[in-house]
Amino acid sequence: MTKYSNPEVLVETDWVKQHLGQPGIRLVEIDVDTKAYEAGHIPSAVGFNWQTQLQDQLRRDIISQEAFEKLLGDAGISPTDTVILYGDNNNWFSAYGFWLFKIYGHKDVRLMNGGRVKWLNENDKQLTTEVPKIVPTHYKAATPNLELRAMLPEVLQAQAGKNCNLVDVRSNDEFTGKVIAPPGMTETAQRGGHIPGAKSVPWNTAVGADGTFKTADELRAIYVDQKGVDPKKDSIAYCRIGERASHTWFVLKYLLGLPNVKSYDGSWTEYGSIVGAPIEK
Amino acid sequence: MNHQARVYENVFEMLPSEVNPTPLVRINKLNPGAEFPLYAKLEWVSPFGSVKDRAAWELLRDLEDRGELVPGRGMVEPTSGNTGISLAAMARARGHRLLAIVPNKIPLEKKLLLKIVGADLEVISDELCPAPGLGDGSINLAKTHAKASAQKYVLPNQYENPKNAEAHFKTTGPEIWKQTEGKITHLFASLGTCGTVSGTSKFLRSKNPNIKVIAVQPTEGHDVPGLRNVSQLGVSKLFDPSLVDDILEIDFHLAYTRALELCQNEGLLAGPSSGLIFEGALEIVRRDKKGHGVMIFPDNIFKYTTNMTKHIPGLSDGTQPK
Repeated sequence: MTKYSNPEVLVETDWVKQHLGQPGIRLVEIDVDTKAYEAGHIPSAVGFNWQTQLQDQLRRDIISQEAFEKLLGDAGISPTDTVILYGDNNNWFSAYGFWLFKIYGHKDVRLMNGGRVKWLNENDKQLTTEVPKIVPTHYKAATPNLELRAMLPEVLQAQAGKNCNLVDVRSNDEFTGKVIAPPGMTETAQRGGHIPGAKSVPWNTAVGADGTFKTADELRAIYVDQKGVDPKKDSIAYCRIGERASHTWFVLKYLLGLPNVKSYDGSWTEYGSIVGAPIEK
Repeated sequence: MNHQARVYENVFEMLPSEVNPTPLVRINKLNPGAEFPLYAKLEWVSPFGSVKDRAAWELLRDLEDRGELVPGRGMVEPTSGNTGISLAAMARARGHRLLAIVPNKIPLEKKLLLKIVGADLEVISDELCPAPGLGDGSINLAKTHAKASAQKYVLPNQYENPKNAEAHFKTTGPEIWKQTEGKITHLFASLGTCGTVSGTSKFLRSKNPNIKVIAVQPTEGHDVPGLRNVSQLGVSKLFDPSLVDDILEIDFHLAYTRALELCQNEGLLAGPSSGLIFEGALEIVRRDKKGHGVMIFPDNIFKYTTNMTKHIPGLSDGTQPK
C-alpha cells in the first residue's frame, strides 16, 4: 500500500488526544454550523466562524493578510505552532481554513482525520463548552501564496484551453443542473450546470463510511484511473462557494501529491452567474 | 386504575399495555383482499398521541431508576417530533425538562406542539450534501450537548438505546398477539429508529416464527417525518435485519394520498407514515393473497395539515373567504 504524498498534514483523533495541552500544539474548530463550537468543542480548541472571520465582510473575498494576522494573533497562535484544524461535515470548512492557512504561509497546519463527528463518537474523547484562556500573540504572516487560488480568468482559460483538470466536486444533481444548490442553501447562482469539460467527482467519494479519508491507493484509483484526472496536468477544484472544493484540493495536492492544484473559491456561485460563460448540463 | 371504567389516578396509568391495548380496527372499504383481513393498530389512541409513548416511557423510567435525572439535569434528545412530544409531556409532569433537537424540515405543528408540552427547542438545518459517516445533524448536536454539558443533560438516545425496542417487546408485541388470538400472519411497520419493528417482531416471532415482518420505508428525498430511507438507516443501532422479512420502498407521495383515503373512506384519521404502511400492506395483500395482517399506525393526521397541503393538490382551496 502506498502512503499519502504528504502524510504529515493529517493527524488521527488519538494523536490529538495524546497531544492535547502540549506547548506549540493549537486546535482550531471551523464548522459549517457556526453554532456547533458553542455547543461543545475539544478542550483547548478555539473556534473560527467561516462566515464572519474567514471572509471579507465588505467585498466577496478571503480575509486580507492583515485580518488573518489579527485573527491568529487574537487566537494566541504563533507562526511556529502546529495548528490542528477540525470541523463538522467531514472537515469542509476546516479544509477551507487549511487552504487559507497555506495561502498565508503557516508552515505546520494539519487536519484531524474524520473531523468533529469521529471525535464525538469515540467514548474516550471529551468535549467541553469552556472557552480557552488566550494569551494574544503578534502573528506575522508570510507573503500570500496565491498560486493555491484560481481566479475566474484562469478558470475560463483552463476551460477554453483544455490543458487543465477541472474537477467539479458538487453533488450529481448540482453537476447536471437539476438543482443550482443543495436544498436550503442560500448562496446560489443564475444558472445550473457545470463548466464544460469538468470531471464530476463529488467530494464525498474521497472519504469512507467513518468519514476518514480513503487510502492513497483508493484515492488514486478513483481520481486518476476512474475519473481521468491527469496527474501530469495542473488541476482546479471547484464547488459552490469553495469549501467542498478545498476538501478535494487537500486530497489532490497533499494526499495524492499532484503537482499544481488550485481551489477556485469563486466556484459555481460566481461562474454560474457570469454573462456569456459557457455551461454544460 | 380501572381500565373497564377508564378511571385513572394519573395519566401514566393510561399508557398502553397487554391489559390496556391500543385498538385494532379492520380496514373495510379499501382492502381488496377478501382472504387477507388487514387491521390497523391505532397508536394515536395513547395519552400523548403516538406510538412513541411506549419508547419514551421506557426511556424515561430507565433514566429515573438509574438516578440520571436530578435537579438541574434534564434530557436532550434528537427527535422528528413524536418522541419529543411524548418525552417532554411526561418529563414536565414528573418534574424534569427536555431539550428537543429537531430538524428544520419537520412540520410547524410538531415544533409548536413541542413548545406547548414544555420542551425547550433547538432547530437545526439538516439540508446538506449527503456525507458518509456524518450521521444526522440533530443526533450529532444532541450527542454534543450530552458530552460537553453532562452536568446539564443526559441523552436517552432512542436511536441506540435498547430500551426503545424493549418497550415494544413488552407491550406492542403481547398486545397484538392477544388481540389477534395468535392469528396474525403479517406485521407491517415503518422504519425510523427501528425500535417498533425490532421489539414487536422479536416478541411475535417468539410466539410464531412463521410470522412475516414487513418494513416499509419511503423513497429517498422524502419528507415523511419520523421515517428513514434505507440510506439513512445507519444512524439507528436498533435495526436488526434478521427480524425483518421484506423491506418495501414506497414512493413517499403515496404516504399522503393513502392517508387521505384512510381519512375519507375508513374514518381512520391516519397520518402519512400510516398511509405509507397501508400502501406497503396492499402490495403484500396482492402478492400473498391470504393472511391476517396487522399494521402499526404510528400517529394521526392532526400534526400534518401543512405537509398535506404540499402533497395533496387543491387541499387548501376554498379555505379563505372569496
